[in-house]
Amino acid sequence: MHEVSLMKNLLAIVDKAAADQGGSPVSLVHLRIGEMSGVSADALRFAFEVMAKGTGAEGADLEIETVPLRVRCGRCGAEAHPRDFVFVCGACGVSDVDILGGREMEVDYILVRDAATDAEAADA
Amino acid sequence: MHEIRVGEDLRGENERVADENRRELAGRGIVSLNVMSAPGAGKTSLLLRTIPLLKERYSVGVIEGDIQTTTDAERIATLGIPVHQIETGGVCHLDARMVHSALHRLDLDAIDLLFIENVGNLVCPADYDLGESRKVVILSVAEGDDKPKKYPLMFRESRLLLLNKIDLLPYVSFDVAKARREAREINPALDIIELSCTTGVGIDRWIAWIDGCVASSRRR
Repeated sequence: MHEVSLMKNLLAIVDKAAADQGGSPVSLVHLRIGEMSGVSADALRFAFEVMAKGTGAEGADLEIETVPLRVRCGRCGAEAHPRDFVFVCGACGVSDVDILGGREMEVDYILVRDAATDAEAADA
Repeated sequence: MHEIRVGEDLRGENERVADENRRELAGRGIVSLNVMSAPGAGKTSLLLRTIPLLKERYSVGVIEGDIQTTTDAERIATLGIPVHQIETGGVCHLDARMVHSALHRLDLDAIDLLFIENVGNLVCPADYDLGESRKVVILSVAEGDDKPKKYPLMFRESRLLLLNKIDLLPYVSFDVAKARREAREINPALDIIELSCTTGVGIDRWIAWIDGCVASSRRR
């Protein structure tokens, strides 16, 4: 779908987060992508490969965590992992359920290299 | 090596602009409907059929979204109402930023009911909040009754499902009961109206639904 425009946003978020830390090189970007977000992890990986060049995330690994779809029944409070997007409570049968997770598309955290570690790596 | 917590949504910028749009529209008392469907389900035909029936009571405006061409806007403009065409230039959905620019190109003082016709696509538009009052999805019976299950996010996000082209039911194998049931499993709060832009059946119920939206927004 629109993974390229999402990747632009991702790279901007990562650049800013790294710049706030004095521009340390980024070695890993950890994403959380919901099962029901409509985003393809493969397309994101491809977009990252192509678009990270020349940004603060160049050379970093992209790690994608899939967040399962979870719902809670509005009547009985039972939590479930609906299959096939059937939003009906398995415990009491009503269809008044709230989505707790599964819609995420977020940069959870990044790992940056410390200057000291870099120097040690250079010495070694 | 150390970890920096970020916790930022990739759609964050869109959400921010969508909120701006929502404030702008609400501040002016404009009700806006984001009309979405697959290509060819009948978005433009529906507007062409509907707007003449609404023109006496509302000041209608239209934002047209297409990847390319301005033909839809030209068709709508024949109705004598304000219309602005967004050509997304390859982008498969409208986003809040595009709608924001379009809002500033329309005379908003002359509009109290705004239709936003999204790019024909059952996937991406569902992910982008435009700041609209309600989302409406059109599914034409020629597309098949399995579409709610195949594109759950679209049917989850929408407030109304218009089952269009029901005059074609004798010629296609579309199980209306199944489509209705599966759409409601995904979204129990979904309103569903069956209609045909060709014969006009169901158009009165759609108009009544719009009247309901406007009335509920004016009560607030």
